Amino acid sequence: MKFIKNHLMFILPLMAILLGIEFYLVFDRTTDSYEEGLKERYSMLVVSKEPIEFSTFKSLENHVSSVKEIERENIVAKVAKGIDDSASDEIIMALPYFYEVRLDSYLDLDNLEKIKANLKVNKNIKKVETFGSSHGSAYRLFKFIKFTLKLFLFFISIVSLFLIIKQMEIWKYAHKERMQVMEIFGAPLMLRSGILFKIAFLDAFIATFLTSLVFLYVKLVWAGVSGIDIIVKNQEKIFKMSDIGILLFSALFIVIIAVYFVVFSAKGVEE
Amino acid sequence: MSNVITASHLTLAYNNGKTEIIKDATFSIKQGEFVFITGPSGSGKSTLLKALYGQLKPSEGDLVVGGLDLTNVRQGRLQELRTHLGIIFQDYKLVNEWTVAKNAILPLMIAGYTIDVQETQAQRLLKHVKLSEHADKYPLELSGGEQQRVGVARALSKNPAVILADEPTGNLDDYSSNVIWDLMENACEQLDTTVLVVTHKIPSVFSLPYRHFIIESKGVYEVH
Repeated sequence: MKFIKNHLMFILPLMAILLGIEFYLVFDRTTDSYEEGLKERYSMLVVSKEPIEFSTFKSLENHVSSVKEIERENIVAKVAKGIDDSASDEIIMALPYFYEVRLDSYLDLDNLEKIKANLKVNKNIKKVETFGSSHGSAYRLFKFIKFTLKLFLFFISIVSLFLIIKQMEIWKYAHKERMQVMEIFGAPLMLRSGILFKIAFLDAFIATFLTSLVFLYVKLVWAGVSGIDIIVKNQEKIFKMSDIGILLFSALFIVIIAVYFVVFSAKGVEE
Repeated sequence: MSNVITASHLTLAYNNGKTEIIKDATFSIKQGEFVFITGPSGSGKSTLLKALYGQLKPSEGDLVVGGLDLTNVRQGRLQELRTHLGIIFQDYKLVNEWTVAKNAILPLMIAGYTIDVQETQAQRLLKHVKLSEHADKYPLELSGGEQQRVGVARALSKNPAVILADEPTGNLDDYSSNVIWDLMENACEQLDTTVLVVTHKIPSVFSLPYRHFIIESKGVYEVH
């Protein structure tokens, strides 16, 4: 019972870190497409007295990646239903030209204002609508959630690392007698600390296995019935087999750091 | 014969040199000699032994063991020196989770001998200290005398150049003590091992020629 408890005291904090790492990977992958969508869906509306070519837009502002003219007939058809053709033609003639302008990257509000000013240099352009505030707030909220998650995972990792080191110190104390005897008889540091490495490596493998199981369950069972659109769409991104390698590498890296920290923090185990 | 231990104006102290235990001691011990170090409790006998296996650095003077100057020695060299020493403790210092056989061959494990060699040597050593039938037992299953014989077997396992023994019979009855003295005498006589024993009392029956140092009032004096 004590043996299991001792190992769980190490495996659980290690799992907390690994779950954090994997959760971050999954979150990053599943939100990547959302982030891309946010960028791609973004466009500016330009209203001009005269038709403008793409090359003209490009010469005004280098960030312009594509320009699509919004058919004035469609606008009239939507707003002036039931009127005759001649009246409709007159309205069309009176209307300015509308363009949907897309940019090559997502830019913040300041840059959007600069683009707006650059485009307005052209005398024919009467209005540029950037929709900056509404788009910016959605994007900023998304970024804030991502940052908060990173911060949360960072602190969870720090706390877990302290717990791991604490448990390692308990192990060191438990094996002090053996390490002390080995040191007296000339065993090098690595040899007398071998027992700590063995236990830590074993627990690193167990923690990796359990964390992988959790995410495999989430991917294969829970995601399908979760009803959360973004998760259902990105089910295959939730856990990749390559993640096992990342988790194992992370677990081994953490335990090596922890063992070295404990072994070197107290110089020698002799009385 | 060459000196295996040389102390020159040696001072040993604790608390960063504030508490001096041994002061300005000069002596040397040759290969194959049997040496007793006696003295009152707290006189510094065990402190001297600790210095000889490098657990306590000299505060002043020089201390050379097996050609290695312990005044300013790197950890790697010290580890190497220790693999050439056989150390015996009053409280045995056996690893209780290991079998008797495994305890006996610890120096061979540290030296990286193969499992076959370790097993052969374990049998030989335990036969030598008359503990063959206890090879698979754990130290706490043995009597004090038997545990100390395991300690002696461990000290002898690599045929060390020097055996350092700290009150090896301090906790033992007369019979067990005599067995331990016999083993150490044999090592000295047959293997030309230098044996340095810290003890309260020199055994009444001792067949080998020996030297006797007393530690008193921080000084180390040869009396025999």
